[in-house]
Amino acid sequence: MPNTTFLFFLTCLDNFGDKLSKEEPRIGVYVCHCGENIAGAVDVEEVRRFAEKLPNVVIARDYLFMCSDPGQEIIKKDIRDGLINRVVVASCTPKTHEPIFRRACEAAGLNKYYLEMANIRDQCAWAHWHEKKKATEKAKYLVASAVAKARLLEPLEDRYVEMNQNVLVIGGGISGIFASLDLANAGYKVYLVEKEPSIGGNMAKLDKTFPTNDCASCILTPLMVEVANNENIELLTYSEVESVEGSVGNFKVKIRRKQTWVDWDKCTGCGACINVCPPAARVPNEFNEGLDERGAIYIQFPQAVPRKAVIDIDACVKCAGREFGKPPKVSKDGRKILAPCEKACPTGACLRDEPRDPEGSILEIEVGAIIVATGYRVMDKKYFKEFSPSSPNVITALQMERLISATGPSDGKLIVPSDIKKYKEGKNAREPKVIVYISCVGSRSKRYHSYCSKICCMYMLKQAMQLKESYPDLDIYIFFIDVRTTGKDFDEYYMRCKELGIHIIRGKVGGINQLPNERLLVRGYDSDIGKPVELESDIVVLASAVEPSQGMEELSRKLGISIGIEGFLKEKHPKLYPVDTLSEGIFICGCAQGPKDIPDSVAQAKAAASSVMSLLSKGKMKVEPLIAEIDRDRCSGCGICEPLCPYKAITITEKRKKEKKAELNPALCKGCGVCVVACPSKAIKLHGYTFEQLLSQVEALSIELER
Amino acid sequence: MNVINLTYLREREKKEYGKRTITVIQEFGAENIAQCMQCGACSSICPLSISGFEWYNKKLIKGIELGLRDEFFDDPTPWACVACNRCSEVCPRDVNPFEVMFAMRRLMIEEFVIPPTALEALRSLYEHGHAIYVENRKARKAVGLDEKPPTTDSNEKALEELRIILKNTRLIELGLFPLK
Amino acid sequence: MKKYGLFLGCNIAFNRPDVEVSMRKVFPAFGIELDNLDGQSCCPTWGTMPSVDLVGWCAVAARNLALGEEKGIDLITACNTCYSSLCEARHKILTDEKLYKKVNEVLSKIGKKYQGKSKCRHIAWVLYEDIGLEKIEEKLKYRLDGMRIAVQPGCHFLWPSESLTEKEEDPFNPVILRNLCEALGAKAPYYSRLIDCCGAGALKSTSPEKALKLAESKFKSIEEEVKADLIVTTCSSCMIQLDESQQKLKKIGKLKKEIPVFHYIQILAICMGFDPKKVAGICITPRDKIIRKILEEK
Repeated sequence: MPNTTFLFFLTCLDNFGDKLSKEEPRIGVYVCHCGENIAGAVDVEEVRRFAEKLPNVVIARDYLFMCSDPGQEIIKKDIRDGLINRVVVASCTPKTHEPIFRRACEAAGLNKYYLEMANIRDQCAWAHWHEKKKATEKAKYLVASAVAKARLLEPLEDRYVEMNQNVLVIGGGISGIFASLDLANAGYKVYLVEKEPSIGGNMAKLDKTFPTNDCASCILTPLMVEVANNENIELLTYSEVESVEGSVGNFKVKIRRKQTWVDWDKCTGCGACINVCPPAARVPNEFNEGLDERGAIYIQFPQAVPRKAVIDIDACVKCAGREFGKPPKVSKDGRKILAPCEKACPTGACLRDEPRDPEGSILEIEVGAIIVATGYRVMDKKYFKEFSPSSPNVITALQMERLISATGPSDGKLIVPSDIKKYKEGKNAREPKVIVYISCVGSRSKRYHSYCSKICCMYMLKQAMQLKESYPDLDIYIFFIDVRTTGKDFDEYYMRCKELGIHIIRGKVGGINQLPNERLLVRGYDSDIGKPVELESDIVVLASAVEPSQGMEELSRKLGISIGIEGFLKEKHPKLYPVDTLSEGIFICGCAQGPKDIPDSVAQAKAAASSVMSLLSKGKMKVEPLIAEIDRDRCSGCGICEPLCPYKAITITEKRKKEKKAELNPALCKGCGVCVVACPSKAIKLHGYTFEQLLSQVEALSIELER
Repeated sequence: MNVINLTYLREREKKEYGKRTITVIQEFGAENIAQCMQCGACSSICPLSISGFEWYNKKLIKGIELGLRDEFFDDPTPWACVACNRCSEVCPRDVNPFEVMFAMRRLMIEEFVIPPTALEALRSLYEHGHAIYVENRKARKAVGLDEKPPTTDSNEKALEELRIILKNTRLIELGLFPLK
Repeated sequence: MKKYGLFLGCNIAFNRPDVEVSMRKVFPAFGIELDNLDGQSCCPTWGTMPSVDLVGWCAVAARNLALGEEKGIDLITACNTCYSSLCEARHKILTDEKLYKKVNEVLSKIGKKYQGKSKCRHIAWVLYEDIGLEKIEEKLKYRLDGMRIAVQPGCHFLWPSESLTEKEEDPFNPVILRNLCEALGAKAPYYSRLIDCCGAGALKSTSPEKALKLAESKFKSIEEEVKADLIVTTCSSCMIQLDESQQKLKKIGKLKKEIPVFHYIQILAICMGFDPKKVAGICITPRDKIIRKILEEK
């Protein structure tokens, strides 16, 4: 080579940051039998002989199981003996085995990125099991291609990225609470974001829990208080996640704190304001699932944590013309005209003067990992027209739970829902004599949700048992399609219900009609006897399907995680990774991942917390060096790459000479290669998949095999 | 014996019919029959079930699935279906039990299992273009209408067209009555 | 002038031609022209072609619908069976491409085709949508104020809601017929067995006693909950069944009071002043008393 061309070549190499070793590649090819998996379709010996003859290959061996200890030892010995300085393993999938062989190279003292694998099992032997001759030929091509790339491999080095040690938990139900507590007690700082004014989620709405019939509030409230008092947990209620940027170890999250119109530093939760909110300002009470109403200023429920008031300005009737965001009007004799809630508050916590900020205030935080625990809701009864949803005495199971709860609309007294208003007015409210339960309303259905909601069979039995024990004369009929009481103590629970005299009927209800006096005519079927049945009932409870919470879809888009076909968040692997997602650093747990009861939710919450701890505990994260690199001298500053990067890793910046060039943040780059392909100047290189490597592989695939 | 011998049914399906009964029913128009989870919603409001017929929707589907076939031929239930479709309206799996009943009819008719009233209606359809046909026209005259309504009754060409259509249907192969 | 093809079916044409007269009088009075749809046949009813094969059913139905399509008009009918058989056939033709082709192959043998453009509407919907309750009220000569009506929309007016041309918002709580009756001045309350089947059709021909049981259950609910002066239906088959079964039930002591049964179009015709003998002259349970009462009031 003439000197000038050689120097040009060298400068190219230097400018490109190329680290091609100056020594000749000496490649060792190792062909695996993989028991019968490869050898059953591919003639391993023939492939080995073929590999031997390839240029730069100094040794070619075969073995029964390359990944085993003795198999790996073969490779390590060749490296230690100085025989080879590049390794090609023709075996199974790199997805599972690349790390194994990389570790073997490293252990023997060779840079682990000097390894290339050829998948002659999944992509060859298994795919062409019945065409042995062609499979062997294809295996040869695959090996030739791997060898061609091996010649051009670079000795890359692993990088390390600092991981932020804070954690964001989205959702303050039982799952979010447990995840936060486990992390906080391990020393991590947790931001717990909850969209309602209080934490507690759906569990706070329950009266008792199966199978122990524990009082839900009794077991939940101490945990809620613990969360509030834990110095490592920053509780951000009445807030929602606005945006998420960055990637694992370095998430930048914006949290929108909704406007409460009450100063929570001053509010003591005394409840004086609630009593004076006028009757004109009433909206359905979400905590009681719409069975009764609340005022515009409200505390979510008596055991709320934090126990603070919030003004719902859409419901507020602006008493005496008291506007929001303006100072109060002044009467003729100089007194301020205040709203009743403002007057009643002993600490002056009512903040109606504050300017209106529909966006709420934004809090920016940085975290290393995120846990999504947004929980569930139950389907509204309005979708099920054949069940006479317009009748007030047809209710969902969660509504029934509120009805029998001591903090519910009738203070726990069992009355027909159509008489709740009467009860509140102090009049005589009718007590039900017959209650009917219907399972699988919206679940196991082609029209709504094909899945089984899992918890309904048990909670219907639980409510029935509770009611029957308190009101022995009550007639309760539960219409099941199948009775699904799986789990410890659950089937025994079911048998106890039968002993109590609760009627269990296997057959779905096909129609409900209204009778006079707000009673209901239920048309069902008894499969065991094989005849249609009908009865008159005072209340019908629908076990409607469990769905993910409202807003979960939007949240998943902000986080960049997927949702499964049935609507719940998608886990990385349904069997082995139920709390991970395909986005590293983001975990899911509880009912956001799928319908489940409290013990399973808690188990998943703890699993997610533990996964976060495994991720963050080392403080640094090893990142593979197979990422992109931009040559600023080649870069023309066209800017095509910047918007294409899905991880926002590229920015166009000005550095020396005031020229705008592309700059890559290696911490964010995932090595997807989109920018590499798009760059018209070929200024971007993807380590591990360079143009030269790929083109040499293509060339190797076009050789003529000797017949 | 009160026992249903499933082995016998399965052998019969394989040897005598060559096809599972459920497959035959699917081919006759009840494509979703396998989706049924036997919940019973359809039977709770089916007029046949309520009035006391034997092989109404849910039970018929189960019987078909097990392999019963000839056993249904003595039973009048499939021919009693009023096609109200309330079953299809409430079925959570979109099985469309109504289609199963009518698919059963289409199977039964192959074996000449058809009640005399239905056969008469078909014959009348071919002969006059009306399933229900009454010779006596006093009622029409009494209310001031023409004796013959503006249907195939008074339109020979239309009746002929209808007959051509009927001759191009399964009626020809079934040979229930002569189609002249 | 809006024009529709009058689809008669079999029962109305031969057994209850007074319903036909009602239609021929009422619609022109509202400015709707009725075409005879010459050459129409049986819809085909459920016991005939639908029980034989799918293509045959849809071909016969398509021939009837094509009679309307050729003239660019839709069909209207007062019989629920015809309504549902034609609607379902049309729905199947439009949603199954193979069936569409096969049906048109058969139709081509008589030189016709059906593209799915013309549909069959129920007269109750034409009265409700095209004419409207206000216009109906305007044209009334007699009103039914103070009377109580038990309505029977009939199964085929409600289900399967997917394939019907026009559907109630809540097929389990139908209001169209109730609204139409209340436009005449009467009260048409909800009762628990409103949507239950009356037992007409194949059920009756297979087992008259079982059909009677269904009618009995219907009458019991009407007696207890509605205390009706008359029963009004949108289906000619329901009308015949409820009309006939009262006599049978009375004989076995299962019916306390007889209630006259009308098709809505008949009671509307009477209230509009047309001759009751022509529009509602054929019945088994006597109608004279109630008709006299209606004509007395203004």
